[in-house]
Amino acid sequence: MAERNEQSGELLQGTLDLLILKALVRGPMHGYGVAEWIHESSHEVLRVEEGALYPALHRLELRGLLSSEWGTSDNNRRAKYYALTTAGKKQLMEETEYWRRMSGAVARVLQTA
Amino acid sequence: MGSGWLNNFLLRLKTLVQRKRLDRDLEDEVAFHLAMRAEKNRAAGAADDEAHYAAHRQFGNVTSVRERSREMWTFVSLETLWRDFTYALRTLAKRPGFAATAILTLGLGIGSSTAIFSVIENVLIQPFPYPGADRMMGLEIHDPSRGESEGRVEYPGSEFLDYIEKNQVFDRVIANASQDVLYDMGDGTERFHGVLTTPGTFEFFGMPALLGRIMEASDYEPGAPPVFVLGYKTWIANFGGDPDVLNKAFVLNGVQRTLVGIMPPRFGWGAGDVYFPAKPTRSTAPVGGEFPPAWYLIGHLKPGVTVPEAEADLTVVANQLARVYPKSYPEHFTVKLFSLTEMVVGRFRATLYLTLAAVGLLLLIACANVANLLLARATAREREFALRSALGASRWRLIRQLLVESLILSVCGGALGVVLATMGLQSLVSLVPPRTIASETVIRLNAPVLLVSLGIAILTPLLFGLVPALRAARKDLEQPLRDSSKGTTGASGNARFRDTVIVGEVALSFALLVAAGLLMRSFMALRQIDFGFRSDHVLVTRLPLPPDRYKTAAQVTSFFRPLLARLKSLPGVVDAAESSTLPPYASFASEPEVSGKIHPEKWTTLFQLCSEGYFSVLHIQLLEGRTFSEAEVNDARHRSIVNRSFVRRYLGRDNPIGQRIRLSDLENFPDKVQDPWFEVIGVVGDALNQGLHEPTQPEVWLPYTVTGSGQRGVLVRTAGDPMMLMNSLRLEVWATDHSVPLTYTGSMDDFISSQSFAGPRFGFVMMTIFAAVGFVLVSIGVYSVVAYGAARRTQEIGIRMALGASRGSAIRLVLSMGMRVVFLGIVVGLTASLALSRIIAGQLWQVSARDPITMAGVALLLLATGALACWVPATRTSGVEPMVALRYE
Repeated sequence: MAERNEQSGELLQGTLDLLILKALVRGPMHGYGVAEWIHESSHEVLRVEEGALYPALHRLELRGLLSSEWGTSDNNRRAKYYALTTAGKKQLMEETEYWRRMSGAVARVLQTA
Repeated sequence: MGSGWLNNFLLRLKTLVQRKRLDRDLEDEVAFHLAMRAEKNRAAGAADDEAHYAAHRQFGNVTSVRERSREMWTFVSLETLWRDFTYALRTLAKRPGFAATAILTLGLGIGSSTAIFSVIENVLIQPFPYPGADRMMGLEIHDPSRGESEGRVEYPGSEFLDYIEKNQVFDRVIANASQDVLYDMGDGTERFHGVLTTPGTFEFFGMPALLGRIMEASDYEPGAPPVFVLGYKTWIANFGGDPDVLNKAFVLNGVQRTLVGIMPPRFGWGAGDVYFPAKPTRSTAPVGGEFPPAWYLIGHLKPGVTVPEAEADLTVVANQLARVYPKSYPEHFTVKLFSLTEMVVGRFRATLYLTLAAVGLLLLIACANVANLLLARATAREREFALRSALGASRWRLIRQLLVESLILSVCGGALGVVLATMGLQSLVSLVPPRTIASETVIRLNAPVLLVSLGIAILTPLLFGLVPALRAARKDLEQPLRDSSKGTTGASGNARFRDTVIVGEVALSFALLVAAGLLMRSFMALRQIDFGFRSDHVLVTRLPLPPDRYKTAAQVTSFFRPLLARLKSLPGVVDAAESSTLPPYASFASEPEVSGKIHPEKWTTLFQLCSEGYFSVLHIQLLEGRTFSEAEVNDARHRSIVNRSFVRRYLGRDNPIGQRIRLSDLENFPDKVQDPWFEVIGVVGDALNQGLHEPTQPEVWLPYTVTGSGQRGVLVRTAGDPMMLMNSLRLEVWATDHSVPLTYTGSMDDFISSQSFAGPRFGFVMMTIFAAVGFVLVSIGVYSVVAYGAARRTQEIGIRMALGASRGSAIRLVLSMGMRVVFLGIVVGLTASLALSRIIAGQLWQVSARDPITMAGVALLLLATGALACWVPATRTSGVEPMVALRYE
């Protein structure tokens, strides 16, 4: 039952998990909302592949970083809402920190003449 | 991340149970996403259809997403295992005959072998709960000139003390002797079986008392307060298990004794009701009007001493003692030691091992049958597995599926086996004849044996069930697919193995059936023995007279004369007689002297005491002279009656009437007979006097009034059912003397039956159960193999019939296939039975171990069964329409 490497489209590997966690900081949200939020807040640069989004959500839930609950959406549909768990929040902080260091490092490398 | 792992596991577990719900949730989640996307597309101005399709396009492969999520959520291997399980159930249900046969076979094999082995183990191998029982030895002075079982195992006090002093091989020696113990309960007198125990007896067996204490050294000292210990069964039966009886005083045989201890259930040495302390002495003087006790000696071997070493040492001692007590030792003798276990197993050791082997073989038959069934099925499923393998099923997957199938069979068969073993054991226990097994014995299911047979029976299907999977993996896949003809040439190695198994099964079944048949015929012969007397319509009872009041001949006569008169006047009573023993046994043995005859060799005769009615009650034939008159008995005249064997052996051609016989042993009786010469007044026919199996020995009858010593009883010939008079008999005895108890009361037929027939009946019933189970298993085995073989050849037979072969020839083809094997099995079985006949010969009576009638009967039975087992598949196969047969898959 080894976790497979997810094809995250245009996103860097591992980045999708980080973005999902980040998307849920503001509160519980369904899968569609997560995809839309990433799309919009990246100024429509990043497109999350749905084929990758849902397995990623489920994987995070199984890892205990997310919890889920069925609820009703704004337009009265049955939707599954995901929320960050304590472990999820901790993970987000660590990953964010890691990402900052990595992207900073990459940027510095690129800036050198 | 321990908690994470746990969380993960729990979530999966939850979805495992809520399988449907997970699927629906996944569905809903995706549907929600698509709907939202479509709505957004519509808002951007797309048409309904277009919005919907665009949403799907953007999402990509919905099924793949679902699959990946589902895999994440569930235990994949468990899921497939469950699928394998349901698939296996479906496959097995498709051939219910196969599954039922396999399960039944396993169940019968496990159940019967466990039940029978449990009985053997508990009754014969480990009947005693005493630690070190295998090094506790009885001592027998064996007289080789007489039968195998002839020997002396009881010793007077002086010899017991001599053996203790002189032997160098035992570290502890104890002995016990029997005594009638009368207990006056107020409303009648109860007779207990008393066991005299020598110092150290209870320590010897290493069992503490259940309540109170065991005997202590001080209890054996002269002048010690009289005490006794109670056996568990008697405590329950007579005192209702009341713990308050402890430390109470009881008047036993006129002596006030304190009950100091109650023994645990499994202590049963000497089968005693009550145990008294007793110290053997060298005195030969009678104690309290009774014969001095005969001590049954048991020694415990010192560490490191072997049985032959001990026998050699004791032979030296016995030879010394033979010079001191020449009368007690035969001219030539050997000293034999036998362990407690051998005491029970005795001469039947060989038979016991044979039975054990048969139990094991029974289980093997069952396993072989199941193996055969599975192999046959495997061959038939070769194509299925080749096909599945070709379609991409992994080898592991195929093996796993077969394992699951086999496991279902194993578990069901095992469960059935446990049920059958428990039920079978219960019915076997109810069959065990009373008083034929050691009283310490507790018969219960033997757990290790059950586990072993369960293990074997569960491994067999697993092992043989795997064959097709291994073959499918090994073989080139195309071959079985092409081999659609199911030709006769296929898997001939398998066929040969199956045939060999069946030959072995038939042979084994033959041997078991022969053994059962021989035991049955022997038992029937035993039932037809001519006793020399009539045992029907006779009521018997033994009457232990209180020894303090009945010491002399006059005292004993004063009890029996009025009693016999009362009994004779009862309605329904034909005649009544006093007897010192219950046939077919005699009481005493002596070396007779006949006046005017000098003989160099040692003479022995049995003798007993009786009243004048004895010969008419037992219908013993009078050959010459006359029987006692009432006056002769009442006056205790020195007259005697002898049997034909006595005349033939010791009186020769002379007229027996009027000869005089001297029985010197009467001078040693506690109530001495002075000048023990007796005139012969009559000769009677030989009646059995050493049990049913031994030839009649010379015997002399004397008037019971000549001495007050010896055991007493009455025989009553009745017109109707003797049991109807039991209560009248009891009332008349108590009317004569209230303090005389009745023991061993019942009809003589029952008495003889439980003494002499119960053992052989048990052996024969056990062997019959064996043989029956074996027989059923073999029938199943032959049937399944022939049916399978016939099914494999359905197509061939179809072709033959299409080409004009008759139905009869098709039947013959199948029949010959099976009967060849059955016949071979019978030949092997016959050879084995003849070769092994020596083993069972010791248990047979008047039937040869090579009895041709039994052999022929068994052979016919097996042939007929074999034919029937072949006939069913033969007619089924030949009855098929040729076109159906050709298409037969």
